[in-house]
Amino acid sequence: MRQIAIYGKGGIGKSTISANVAAAMAEKGLVTWYVGCDPKSDGSMTLMAGRRIDTLLEQMKNQSESRYEICTGYAGVRCVEIGGPLAGVGCAGRGIIVACQALRRDYFSKESIDVIIYDVPGDVVCGGFAAPLRERFADEVYIVTSGEYLALFAANNIAKGLKNLNIRLGGIICNSREVPNEEQVSKEFSRKIGTAFTGFIPRDPIVRECENKGETVIECVPGSKQAEAYRRLADSILSNERFTVPEPMAPETIREMLRELGS
Amino acid sequence: MTDVLHPRPNPIVAAMYTLRDLDADVVIIHGPAGCGFMASRRLEEAGVRVVTTGMREGDLIFGAEEKLINVLMHVEKEFHPKLVGIVGTCASMIIGENLDSAIKKAKIQATVIPVDIHGCAGPNTSGAIRTLEVAAQRGVVPQEEMERQRDMLNRATLLEQEKGMTSRTYLEPHNGATKLEVALEVVCTLRRGMSVGVVLNAKKETAFGFADVMRAVEYARKKVGGRTVHLGNLALGVGLPRIRRYAAEITRDLQAAGVDLSCITGGLDEYPVAGEIAAHFLDERPVDLRVIAGLPHAIPGIRADDVLVTDQPRELRNLIDRGFARSVGEINTHAQVMNAHSILPNELGQTIRQVVDGGLA
Repeated sequence: MRQIAIYGKGGIGKSTISANVAAAMAEKGLVTWYVGCDPKSDGSMTLMAGRRIDTLLEQMKNQSESRYEICTGYAGVRCVEIGGPLAGVGCAGRGIIVACQALRRDYFSKESIDVIIYDVPGDVVCGGFAAPLRERFADEVYIVTSGEYLALFAANNIAKGLKNLNIRLGGIICNSREVPNEEQVSKEFSRKIGTAFTGFIPRDPIVRECENKGETVIECVPGSKQAEAYRRLADSILSNERFTVPEPMAPETIREMLRELGS
Repeated sequence: MTDVLHPRPNPIVAAMYTLRDLDADVVIIHGPAGCGFMASRRLEEAGVRVVTTGMREGDLIFGAEEKLINVLMHVEKEFHPKLVGIVGTCASMIIGENLDSAIKKAKIQATVIPVDIHGCAGPNTSGAIRTLEVAAQRGVVPQEEMERQRDMLNRATLLEQEKGMTSRTYLEPHNGATKLEVALEVVCTLRRGMSVGVVLNAKKETAFGFADVMRAVEYARKKVGGRTVHLGNLALGVGLPRIRRYAAEITRDLQAAGVDLSCITGGLDEYPVAGEIAAHFLDERPVDLRVIAGLPHAIPGIRADDVLVTDQPRELRNLIDRGFARSVGEINTHAQVMNAHSILPNELGQTIRQVVDGGLA
């Protein structure tokens, strides 16, 4: 069973990539789970025909049984949204720990699963958000970035967390924001932190159009170049055998790299 | 600062005790059911209702404001309190529970003091200080009184860091020297016509336990002769009403036992500085044997031949390791004094009486 965590700066496109990669893997016949860890619980909507599903934590709160409603989305992807408290109360990080423990205990240790994709929010802000890694719920990580400074800075920060936790990084995914030399910048960043460059996803308005319909690109326009890009990325992840604990860059050298390559 | 490994009181418990000093009718612990459990028992013996919101795993994730609101409303209905304290815990404070918001939503009649404190907030006195600050903001205690007590608590923290329980990396509990040997020394000193000075330098309610040493020494003097001098931090006009009441009740009992206080060193919450006045007094008017009860390490210049009486096993270890071999323990003091209204006989006092009455010395 491959247990994959997707990290990256908030708004960089982790959920879009996670959902499309999950769809691409499921299309291949792999038993695939998507686990959204963002308290907003909106990452799986494109796999669920635009529908927001009941979160695992809400279900756990309201019932004592240890079997919950796990929704099945496009191509059979099993979708879980961990959920969390309302903004400004409680502890979303603790929620992730509790929910991941429940999933492992009640499902992942009992069922035959090929791939689990954890879509983890934003940066690693507290111990709870690191839980998928620290508790070894996920054992390989991909970081989504773009060629922009703040996205690379966040990616580097996540690499620091991985090094601290001695977690293997599978590679860097560039989700294009159409900045100059973006693919080259991302590849160089990957090289500098000692990991693979897993794939480049071009920017295409079709992504937004599909999301507006409540679908992944894979489902909405399966024959499109964008769908092919997601499929290539899924293949790249599935065939990846290179995992290394990253060596993050000194933060001040990121700007230096961008000055050299980013124009 | 020394890294301290042994367990010791924390700010949550200090906040609970301070609410008791403020005469809170009810203390609500906003946290897991077990948090503050032992302290709660003692406070209940002192007449304070202690309840808990009993936070559980789901409350950590989603917050527990509703639980706190419900407990506030239940407390009002069940106990009709005038003053309620809410004490935070690690669990509720780390997840950012808003105590004020819950109080506003509960809309109860009682004055409520929300103490946003937790176990990682520093020395235990930080919980007491935070309680007093909030109490002052809500008009429960005058600003000047809060500032005086804050100063005392900061002095107490320094005292502990310099000489007390947080001055050493690890202190193994010790039960203290035997009381018979010490009692014999007291009685023999008096029988020889010499002088015994007794200093009570106790913290708040513990004085009900330690003051019996004064009564016993005075009892021995009457029986075998000698001279006695008594000093105590029993000022009647210092501190919160509850603390003044303790001083009045203890003074009443001492007077009934014929104990004449030669020097009032301060109030019952002034133990961190009252010891300095006691030390100065005894320097000016030396005695042959000194007996210091309560928090002896707060007396500057304590000597190896002094008799020191305290209640904390780790404090006894601290004193004995520092060469004060005549350190004796009144280990159960705190448990016994929680609802006291009169001086309680203690073991050393009873031993002194037994030595006198039994003709052992």
